[in-house]
Amino acid sequence: MLSVRDLSVAYRVSGDEMFAVDGATFDVPQSSIVGLVGESGCGKTTAARALTRVMAANAEIRGGEAIFGGRDLFKLSEAEINRHRWRDIAFIPQSAMNSLDPVYRVETQLVEVLRQRGGLKRAQAQERAEELFGTVGIDPRRLRDFPHQFSGGMRQRVAIALALALNPKLVIADEPVTALDVIVQRQILDQLLDLQKQFGLSVILVTHDISVVAYVCDKVVVMYAGQVVESGNVRTVLTEPSHPYTMGLCNAFPDLHAAAGKLAPIQGAPPSLMKPPAGCRFAPRCPFSADACRVDAPSLADVTAGHNAACYRVAEAPILRKRAAKTETWATMT
Amino acid sequence: MPDGGGAVSATGKPGSRSMIDRIFGSLHLPLRDPFAIMGLAIYVAFIVAAIFADRLATHDPTEILFIESYDLASDRRPGEDGFVLGTTSLGRDIFSQLVYGSRSALLIGLTAAFVVALIGTLVGLIAGYFGGIIDIVLMRLADIAFGIPFLPFVIVLAAFLDPSIWNVVLAMGLVLWRDTGRVIRSQVLTLRTRAYVEAARVSGSSDLKIVFRHIAPNILPLSFLYGSIAIGWAILTEASISFLGFGDPQTISWGYMLQDAFASQALSNRAYYWFIPPGLCIILVVAAGFFISRGYEEVLFPKLKE
Amino acid sequence: MLDLKQLGGRLLQFVFVLWAVVTILFLMFRLMPGNPLAAYIDPTFTEEQQQILTAKFGLDRPLWEQYFVYVGNLLRGEFGDSFFYRQPVFERVLSLLPNTLILTFSSLIVAYIFGIVVGAWLAWKRGRLVEQAAIPFVLTTRAMPEFWLGMLLLALFSFNLGWFPAGGTRSPGAEFDGYLDLYTSVDFLAHLALPAATLAIYSQGLPLLLMRSNMLDVMREDFVTMARIKGLGNWTVVVRHAARNALLPVMTSFAIAVGYQIQGNVVVESVFSWPGLGRELVNAVSASDYPLAQGAFVMIAVVVVTMNLIADMLYGFLDPRVSRA
Repeated sequence: MLSVRDLSVAYRVSGDEMFAVDGATFDVPQSSIVGLVGESGCGKTTAARALTRVMAANAEIRGGEAIFGGRDLFKLSEAEINRHRWRDIAFIPQSAMNSLDPVYRVETQLVEVLRQRGGLKRAQAQERAEELFGTVGIDPRRLRDFPHQFSGGMRQRVAIALALALNPKLVIADEPVTALDVIVQRQILDQLLDLQKQFGLSVILVTHDISVVAYVCDKVVVMYAGQVVESGNVRTVLTEPSHPYTMGLCNAFPDLHAAAGKLAPIQGAPPSLMKPPAGCRFAPRCPFSADACRVDAPSLADVTAGHNAACYRVAEAPILRKRAAKTETWATMT
Repeated sequence: MPDGGGAVSATGKPGSRSMIDRIFGSLHLPLRDPFAIMGLAIYVAFIVAAIFADRLATHDPTEILFIESYDLASDRRPGEDGFVLGTTSLGRDIFSQLVYGSRSALLIGLTAAFVVALIGTLVGLIAGYFGGIIDIVLMRLADIAFGIPFLPFVIVLAAFLDPSIWNVVLAMGLVLWRDTGRVIRSQVLTLRTRAYVEAARVSGSSDLKIVFRHIAPNILPLSFLYGSIAIGWAILTEASISFLGFGDPQTISWGYMLQDAFASQALSNRAYYWFIPPGLCIILVVAAGFFISRGYEEVLFPKLKE
Repeated sequence: MLDLKQLGGRLLQFVFVLWAVVTILFLMFRLMPGNPLAAYIDPTFTEEQQQILTAKFGLDRPLWEQYFVYVGNLLRGEFGDSFFYRQPVFERVLSLLPNTLILTFSSLIVAYIFGIVVGAWLAWKRGRLVEQAAIPFVLTTRAMPEFWLGMLLLALFSFNLGWFPAGGTRSPGAEFDGYLDLYTSVDFLAHLALPAATLAIYSQGLPLLLMRSNMLDVMREDFVTMARIKGLGNWTVVVRHAARNALLPVMTSFAIAVGYQIQGNVVVESVFSWPGLGRELVNAVSASDYPLAQGAFVMIAVVVVTMNLIADMLYGFLDPRVSRA
């Protein structure tokens, strides 16, 4: 349903160029939830936002294609892509607080998009707004409230209602629950799952939290330093990670795997994208890196059908996984 | 403002740079902004004119001039009889008045800016750092200062005191510290929670030392920003006061020239050469201050640059 | 709305500031050198007559007593009699207030409409040539002495072209039935045009620069980006969302600008012989007509302090985050 190939996005930063996304490839099948996961600054949000083609003033799509409904989103004219926005591709932002206009009632903001983009009459739009609030489980009377009058979780529901307004095919959710506490996180995720099944939505869920991925996603795409390092079905990737970075990420969330208290986080920070390291970009932080890793970058290759990883030591993955589960393995890294 | 060179030099190696270096370093003079450079250039030009006024002026600005035939040299057009910009209706040389006017303008502008920036900075520093009752009292004083209509206040003050260009400076010192004081106070409030200030306090530095060594260098650029605006305010205020007739008749200033022109029907006589040059000079000097302060804003609040 | 406690605090501050300003004024007028009655007393007055007068104005009593009488009088709207006009100051000052308010508001409304529209437009044109040329130009208009700008317009449009009258509020001999008729007459508007234009040209810089920088801030907000992702049209994004939010602080600044303009009016009213509070203050001070000067000053101060209060509260009314929290 959506197929992204070799996507590259560059930011101009004081005369230099920084490739926040550098040749990312992934697919989003019909009616499934795909998790785009990685540490902050790995390009996952940039990659997702590129699909709407609404980006920061200094960002530019430099290459690749995004085939959606048989057409390349990046080749459409501005008027054509604008027809797709919100009607076909909707967006749930990280902070609904900042993404709702503070000076208008929530109803006004729903009606605005329903009328301007959905072509509804005022009365129809109001009816639809109430229906949407019902769908996400908020009392329609609260339509008359201003954004700041909602709690964090409620606001996120409002954002979901907004995203569903025009029955989109694809919803991009950018860290939709990051700002919420754990209990509310679960409620929102449950709701998202529920609605996804109900409407047969395809969802790209951008998150740094691998437990969120485990909870809701069907597929996962792991990004590191602007590139995809591993992708596949959630169950396969999380139980049998084949890239050391994925192994490290899984470790960082103990509730998934090992017993609590055995945290083994990845040392260091992602490299500067202004001057990315030669070879595999994870090599400087990888406990298993070999000399070859620092010369040429490995490309994404099948591990099994539908499961790819970009690592020279994929064949040794079962052994590496055991070593990666130990804290000392990561602690020795500088 | 991020912890710029000021904070580093203040917490880094003391004594390795001279005091003057440190002060200039922490001012962050906006030397890369073309407008700020233009503003500085205008200042330099007028300062030169003020210093060498007696050599640049072609005549005594207050002298009533006659030409050889003992005719009063009044209402000469520019260039006529060697008067560069013509003469007033009483036969005084306009160009010479203009040159001497830069003296009083700069004198008032710079002193008033210094006084306003100094008082405002001290008030802001003390209120922000010590807080409590001192803060409350000082901020209520600022509220009062904000309630005083400034120009009427200067008029009344000037009417009671002997006519002098210093009345403007006095009035500005009494009232206009309010804006600087408030802004600096809020800046100090954020600075005092910074790690290095906390560190200095925990390690037992005296209040005085913390304020002047760790906080003051970081707010100095803000004081300068407000100072460069105050220069303009002072010159405009002096011009208004002189124009209204409350100025010092013994001192040639641009405002005085404009009052003279206005009262002598220069407008209906279409003597543009008389009342346009002083106005342009005021605009140039005041705008120069604005340009410099704008350059400062870009240094202090770099988000504007994006 | 603001809660009652905040409202009470603001009102208390309002009263406190007014009291302080009035007290400062009293001290200025009583402690300054010179006899305040000098202008009133004819040199031919005998010693006895002078003493009677001094007693009449209460100047023979101790300072603190004078102060209480003064404050009490002000509270009752009793500003004394003008030396020069020999009529109650309050009446006279009140009759001049409309002229000053009309001049101030008409010029500021024009300035704000212009400044808001052009400021938003310049933010939209960020980085382009027009923007880079316009900003120094706007700063230059802020650097002009208002009275000089007035002189320029006067010389050009009145003396040279003869399009507008040179001063006052109405032509000699013009008769009007009541205020409404006067203020809507072509004659009055022709008199208003030049002084209002002077003030408007000077004042537009503030809303313009404020609007522009607010717009630049708001354009970076998430909700503006979201409006784009929603595919809403440019007009909706820029005007309905960005400009509407950027407008809040600009509207607040309007109230402050009114207070500011009232004091700045002093010079422009003098240039155009506009019979307002500012010109009255200048004339009264020049003529040593202290009761009148005091009255005009108090009236101007009341407007300034009231506008500061309104500015404080306006933000609460305009921003739903504050007003309906």
